Amino acid sequence: MKIDENVKSKEGLSAPFQPFGKTIPYIAAVGSLLFIWQIVAWILPEFLMPDVSQGLKRFIDNFSDPDFLNGLQSSLYRLAWGYPIACLLGAVLGLLGGVSKTFSVYLKSVVSILQSIPPITWVPFFVVLIGFGNLPIIFVITIASFFPMALSVLNATEGVNRTHLELARVMGANTRQLITKVYGPETLPAFVTGAQVAFGNAWRSLIAAEMVGGASAGLGWSISYAGEIADMEGVLASIVTIGTIAIILDHVVLNGIKRKLLKWRYTGGDEK
Amino acid sequence: MQTLQLKNVNKTFGNLKVLEDISLNVKKGEFAAIVGPSGCGKSTALRMFAGLETPSEGEVLANGKLVTEPDSNRVMIFQEHALYPWRTIEDNVRLGLELTNSPKNERRERVNRVLEKVGLDGFQTYYPHQLSGGMKQRASIARALVMDPEVLLLDEPYGALDAITRLTMQNELIKLWHGSNQTMLLITHDIDEALYLADRVFVMSSRPGKVVSEVQNEIPRPRDRNSVDFVKLRQEIMKSLDIN
Ligand SMILES: Nc1ncnc2c1ncn2[C@@H]1O[C@H](COP(=O)(O)OP(=O)(O)OP(=O)(O)O)[C@@H](O)[C@H]1O
Ligand SMILES: [Mg+2]
Repeated sequence: MKIDENVKSKEGLSAPFQPFGKTIPYIAAVGSLLFIWQIVAWILPEFLMPDVSQGLKRFIDNFSDPDFLNGLQSSLYRLAWGYPIACLLGAVLGLLGGVSKTFSVYLKSVVSILQSIPPITWVPFFVVLIGFGNLPIIFVITIASFFPMALSVLNATEGVNRTHLELARVMGANTRQLITKVYGPETLPAFVTGAQVAFGNAWRSLIAAEMVGGASAGLGWSISYAGEIADMEGVLASIVTIGTIAIILDHVVLNGIKRKLLKWRYTGGDEK
Repeated sequence: MQTLQLKNVNKTFGNLKVLEDISLNVKKGEFAAIVGPSGCGKSTALRMFAGLETPSEGEVLANGKLVTEPDSNRVMIFQEHALYPWRTIEDNVRLGLELTNSPKNERRERVNRVLEKVGLDGFQTYYPHQLSGGMKQRASIARALVMDPEVLLLDEPYGALDAITRLTMQNELIKLWHGSNQTMLLITHDIDEALYLADRVFVMSSRPGKVVSEVQNEIPRPRDRNSVDFVKLRQEIMKSLDIN
């Protein structure tokens, strides 16, 4: 037998790893934000709006300030607990919902109720309940970020291709094999996108919870403290820090993991 | 090798009567085909042999034994190739060997052998989206063949392919079957395809489906689609389908 069809090119088309996607528009986006900042800085007096260069210098200097590093460490510590717990919880609940119709309705109701309550409103609740510290913030992160994961996994599990399942059954798959060979790999993309959306929620609620007084250290605490003492340079430097860390974690770390796990989507040609 | 049998089978989905008192018999090692109008229950009948549906009444038998669940000796090939997009071609073909826990050291060898048989040698590490439609369907046939099943159940395997690729694939299928002793049951919309490939063609009526005629095709292979015998059988089938 001969292969006469055109084979879609395997080599040459596979996209290189670009953490920032299209680099030039990205730089333009960052540039235009800094540009607006600078214009405002020219118009307003310096104590109200420092120059971009001053702000960025403070941003860099911060990394040799032990207080700042301490705060950064506390924030990342809370994230490192809250976010994985949320992902795990979301994944388990999502899978259960995908398997049981009743649980799916229940889960969707819980999520729609939780979604209508801004996550930081839980801060006072937990502070009263368990006191200041890391724990209330970790809880808030978990509440804020488990549901994108749960919904994403739930939809993917419900939507697993029926023919893919039947094919495995026809070939002799038992229930355990259906889970490991079909459900697992087929829902993996949903885990990854769910985790990415969850990360955005986790990060925003972490900073917000720190700002409204869940703790006395952390990036959110630093920015609200700088605001109280009218240290505009400190405020701007914190904003830059918060944005930069989120971008690095999301675009470099999470996207890197995504490309590793979903290698097949990025092999040969356009993203599938 | 196995025989396939439907004995007075009825199948209803809710209020919808799909199959009504249908009986058919496929001999061991025979190449049989089912033709019939869309929605008459062809896929439903095939899925019963695969163990994916159960009859409402009557019996579905393979080798004289009741079919109650899927069995890796009867493998079905689906209309949409149904390759797993996250697996490379060789991993897709290996699926059945993993599921049945066949000896690990033989797997690579067996996979490569069938890939060569269907003309996909060299495409082991490709993903399905990197192959053409015809190649995907070859891969899905390879995935079934690697199990060395006694029965192949094909549900319009070439329905989604263009006319030229279809003709090529029909020849390839005959070559694969020839001398394999496998029992083949093929569903198709295409009367010519059925007559070109099969020794026996079951013609089904529109829903509720039953067998309205059974055509024995003894034309020697390779068959000429324009020969007198072929045209005669085609007319016979068209008449039982009420097409004129
Ligand atoms: N799981 C199901 N639930 C309800 N109805 C079903 C189910 N499976 C099939 N049917 C119905 O049974 C009828 C026959 O379906 P089937 O797929 O067997 O037809 P077919 O002959 O293969 O048609 P086609 O040639 O278009 O593929 C259709 O009317 C379909 O709607
Ligand atoms: Mg069908």
